[in-house]
Amino acid sequence: MFVAIEDVSFSYPNTQAPALDRFTLDIKKGEVISILGRSGSGKSTILRLLAGLERPKNGRLVIQDETLFDDKTFLQPEKRGIGMVFQDYALFPHMTVAANIMFGLSGMKKADKKRRMHEMLELVELEEYEKRYPHQLSGGQQQRVAIARAIAPNPHLILLDEPFSNLDAELQGKIRKDLREILKKANITSIFVTHDEKDAHILADRIVKLKDGKMDFVGRPCDMLDTFRQEAIAESEEVLKSQPVVNV
Amino acid sequence: MKKLLSFLLVLGTLLVLAACGSSNSSEEEPAETSGDETETASNEVNLYTARHYDVDDELYKKFEEETGIKVNLIKGEADELLERIKREGDATQADLFLTADAGRLHRAKEDGILQSVSSDVLDEQIPANFQDEDQMWYGLTKRARVIMYDKEKVDPSELSTYEALTEDEWAGRVLIRSSENIYNQSLLASFIELNGEEEAKEWAAGMVENFARDPEGGDRDQAKAIAAGVGDVAIMNTYYFGQMLNSEDPEEVKVAESLDVFFPNQDTTGTHVNVSGAGVVKSAKNQENAIKLLEFLSAPEAQETFASVNYEYPVNEAVEPSELLQSWGDFKEQDISMSALGENNAKAILLFNEVGWK
Amino acid sequence: MQRRLANFNIWTVGAVVIILMLFLPNLTIVTGFFTPSNDNWEHMKEFVLRQFVINSLILTLATAFFTILIGLSLAWLIAQYDFPFRRFLKWALILPLSIPPFIGAYTYHGILNFTGAVQTTLREGFGMELDPAYFDIMNLPGAIFIYTMFLYPYVYTITQVYLSEQSASLIESTRLLGKGPWRTFFQVVLPISRISIIAGASLVVLEVLNDYGVVKYYGIQTFTTAIFQSWFGLGDLDTSIKLAASLMGFVIIILLIEKLLRGRRQYSYFSTKVRPLQLIPLSGWKGFAAAGYGMLILSLGFFIPVIQLIDWTILTFGTIPMEEFLRYVQNSVFVAGLSATLIVILALIVGNFARMVQGKYTKLLPKLTVLGYSIPGAVIAVAVVTAFVALDGYLAPVYMAIGLETTLVLSVSIVLLLAAYIIRFFAIGYNSIETGYDKIGTNFRDASRLLGAGPTKTFFKVDVPMMKGAIISGFILVFIDVLKEIPLTLILRPFNFDTLSTKAFQYASDEKIMEASQASLLIVGISALAIVIFYKILEKEMD
Ligand SMILES: Nc1ncnc2c1ncn2[C@@H]1O[C@H](COP(=O)(O)OP(=O)(O)O)[C@@H](O)[C@H]1O
Ligand SMILES: [Mg+2]
Repeated sequence: MFVAIEDVSFSYPNTQAPALDRFTLDIKKGEVISILGRSGSGKSTILRLLAGLERPKNGRLVIQDETLFDDKTFLQPEKRGIGMVFQDYALFPHMTVAANIMFGLSGMKKADKKRRMHEMLELVELEEYEKRYPHQLSGGQQQRVAIARAIAPNPHLILLDEPFSNLDAELQGKIRKDLREILKKANITSIFVTHDEKDAHILADRIVKLKDGKMDFVGRPCDMLDTFRQEAIAESEEVLKSQPVVNV
Repeated sequence: MKKLLSFLLVLGTLLVLAACGSSNSSEEEPAETSGDETETASNEVNLYTARHYDVDDELYKKFEEETGIKVNLIKGEADELLERIKREGDATQADLFLTADAGRLHRAKEDGILQSVSSDVLDEQIPANFQDEDQMWYGLTKRARVIMYDKEKVDPSELSTYEALTEDEWAGRVLIRSSENIYNQSLLASFIELNGEEEAKEWAAGMVENFARDPEGGDRDQAKAIAAGVGDVAIMNTYYFGQMLNSEDPEEVKVAESLDVFFPNQDTTGTHVNVSGAGVVKSAKNQENAIKLLEFLSAPEAQETFASVNYEYPVNEAVEPSELLQSWGDFKEQDISMSALGENNAKAILLFNEVGWK
Repeated sequence: MQRRLANFNIWTVGAVVIILMLFLPNLTIVTGFFTPSNDNWEHMKEFVLRQFVINSLILTLATAFFTILIGLSLAWLIAQYDFPFRRFLKWALILPLSIPPFIGAYTYHGILNFTGAVQTTLREGFGMELDPAYFDIMNLPGAIFIYTMFLYPYVYTITQVYLSEQSASLIESTRLLGKGPWRTFFQVVLPISRISIIAGASLVVLEVLNDYGVVKYYGIQTFTTAIFQSWFGLGDLDTSIKLAASLMGFVIIILLIEKLLRGRRQYSYFSTKVRPLQLIPLSGWKGFAAAGYGMLILSLGFFIPVIQLIDWTILTFGTIPMEEFLRYVQNSVFVAGLSATLIVILALIVGNFARMVQGKYTKLLPKLTVLGYSIPGAVIAVAVVTAFVALDGYLAPVYMAIGLETTLVLSVSIVLLLAAYIIRFFAIGYNSIETGYDKIGTNFRDASRLLGAGPTKTFFKVDVPMMKGAIISGFILVFIDVLKEIPLTLILRPFNFDTLSTKAFQYASDEKIMEASQASLLIVGISALAIVIFYKILEKEMD
């Protein structure tokens, strides 16, 4: 397995209920995983744990035979080789697009950095925008810069947190397709979080569904349709039951 | 667990540091070798002073020129400077402590930061009653706390003593600053010494009854309040009056000119006087230079400068007060030891609080 | 184990050490509270404490109220409307901060007293002899006026910046929903600027609690009076420390309230999406009313006292020695600049720590450093002297080894003064820096670390550049405060070291306010210059 997540549990300080309860998942190289769930179900928490921004209570994470955390080890985020695209992109407002993308390229010669940066801009189709500042870009362009920035250092794994939530519907459609293409072209293993079924179906190789910090479902998008249908029926029946019948 | 640990770590460090702090204060200075200190070698004198007058600076400069001894200064408020010397302990850099109130000098002595020094020159220049009994400090200038009155509204014959101001005829006519001020504290301290605590308290209570307004501002403000018609008499120090008469502001001069000085208690206990003075610090490194500076400041030349520029009364009897001061006339001073002002200071503050003198 | 240790990197260690050093002097005060009470304490409680506490409460609450009223209304006008002189007022309204309150107090009394300009003009120009009580400013309302006029900029600046950065849509949508300007103000502006108002007002409150110059001169007895009385008057350090500890308790309550009111807010960040507010032009009399209001406040807080100071300077020019003034200026700028720099650096480290740690107790830790701002300067001074004399005691062998004759080195050097400034004013710098950190949130840091940058690189490449505004404003505020500072400078300076403020104080304390005007005017001038520079830099930042 390329990425192995085993039995990861976590709760935020000052809270009772675990934000994530014994989460386990194996991911193949190049696979696109989508994590689906309502708001507050723990989706962002998984990403933060994988990235090393939070410390898990227990569990293990191994990527390509390297242990990123377990009982004995905890690798700092900058050492993990994991890329992340934040919900609001978190592009550094005081740096140009080029500087943002080159930020993660340390230990390279200047010329190599530049080359890589241009490659990335080409990949996300923003060649002309190198000198702009983030606030001079549209939402969709900002998102693409954020992806380029995350991919540039060649991470083992890239995490995307609700990448479409800030975009209008039309743009969403286009970007979804772009994103899948970019990810596949770069052959990067990725996990992206969304609360929108449609995103997951179009983009993902596999879908993980979360509910209250627990894994609720895992499988291919087509498998999910059945469970989803059953669930919806069950839910509507419940609603009907709970409502006193006053129809005249 | 993690957070508890870090909290404990923090707490632990705090305690260790606190323990270090407290244990140190009881430790003896390891470098206690004052015996072989070369006291004459140095050519400077370090002065902690609570007097902020430009005229003092001029005198120090003159001293430097005459003796070649450099005067290093820290100017601050008396109480804080005293506390600083105390905290610095034996290692203090201070050689001489100078302040404008006998009470503070007494406290410095009580706190054990001064040393006894004697010199024929000092004995000749400063009368015995303006020296500390143990020669721990020497007075340098005198200030009288007098009654100022409105020349138009008050006839000096109506005035007699500080005590008389508490009588009914002065109700709503008396002005004086707040009890936070050291000059008032020393005034009441002198009454405690002369008349006992009981009578002193009665006096303070009587004054509060007769206040023209709640105490506010400084001494000059009391004079201005007379001119403004808020009250008719004020208790204040003479040198402020001198400064107002010579002010750059013509309005202030006008105010001062409408007032006159009355020295109270001439037939009884005498007018209250306080001193500016200085004492050599116990662990002074430049003791001889400090004494030289004291001698210089009490010598006729400096004494004349104090009198003419700052309107203070000289302690050196060989020096005449300035013309302005003489024009107010001679007066009988309280006959008490200056130390009494310090001894009774705390009691005076408590009495002020009790009678509600703000 | 390794997982735990990873948390204690160099930043954490640095921050904890800084916090402890800043807190240490306060510790002596906290422990003092638990000593048994003595006669003096009982006496205080019986006769005066009640009135002192009432006075202090009235003074702080009323000042807080009026500074919020003025600060917020001005901030709102400037942030939302366009009217004559708006561009000028926007930065000029900060200027009153450049006048030390005690100088303001002396100056206003100088203007209003019997020989002052107002009464003299009425008397001589118009032959009017009005009851002098009308002009008496030396009372509780007068002190409230003084503090309000010279401290409101704390509320104004913080709130104005905050409001300008608010998303336009928030306010515009309220107006589109048919609410008039007043309802918009009370239902939207007031609640959303709550945080900045509290931040500004708590600085005001701490400043008032700490100040001694104004109330002493005006004859108002406050809690601070009691501290000084028992310490210096009664020679009873125990009682005064007990009082100081009570005051600190009060301040801690204020800090907790501030924390509570801030609540679990969502941190905003330099969003790339915020559109600046479109200014609404005020035409006709409304525009003039707005400009008039701003000008009135500015005149009371700046022009009137400055004109008076200029007048006195002219009157007394040549009567006091001036040769050394250039050196006073150098000294003032040197200590103010150096301590402001140090405070900003330390605040950045502590702020970074506060942001990274989790857990209730450790999060509160940095707040402890704010306590120094609430303690009367003289108390800090003594604590600092004690600490440094002890430190010199430890270092004595070192001094001997390098051949020094004295055992007091640090405690008679400028280091002593700088340390005291840092303890005293850390809160001001920290407040600013903390707001900066709040504003950028943690996302940018996380992003940077995921891109392979360690904490240190992240700090210099991401945090610091993004917080330029907060850093500059923290620097300027501390700079101005040190320039104005009195009790610490007076007591802790090395030999022959005079600054503008000690010089101003020297004359003012001897009731020679006219002679104090030169030094005061220079303080005001330098501070005003700093404010202008600060503003220009910020303006450039905004573009
Ligand atoms: N910093 C935090 N402190 C405490 N609880 C948090 C914190 N962040 C998130 N949570 C809680 O953890 C749960 C999962 O949050 P999150 O992973 O952000 O959800 P999602 O991304 O699926 O919307 C929620 O109940 C949320 O309230
Ligand atoms: Mg989320």
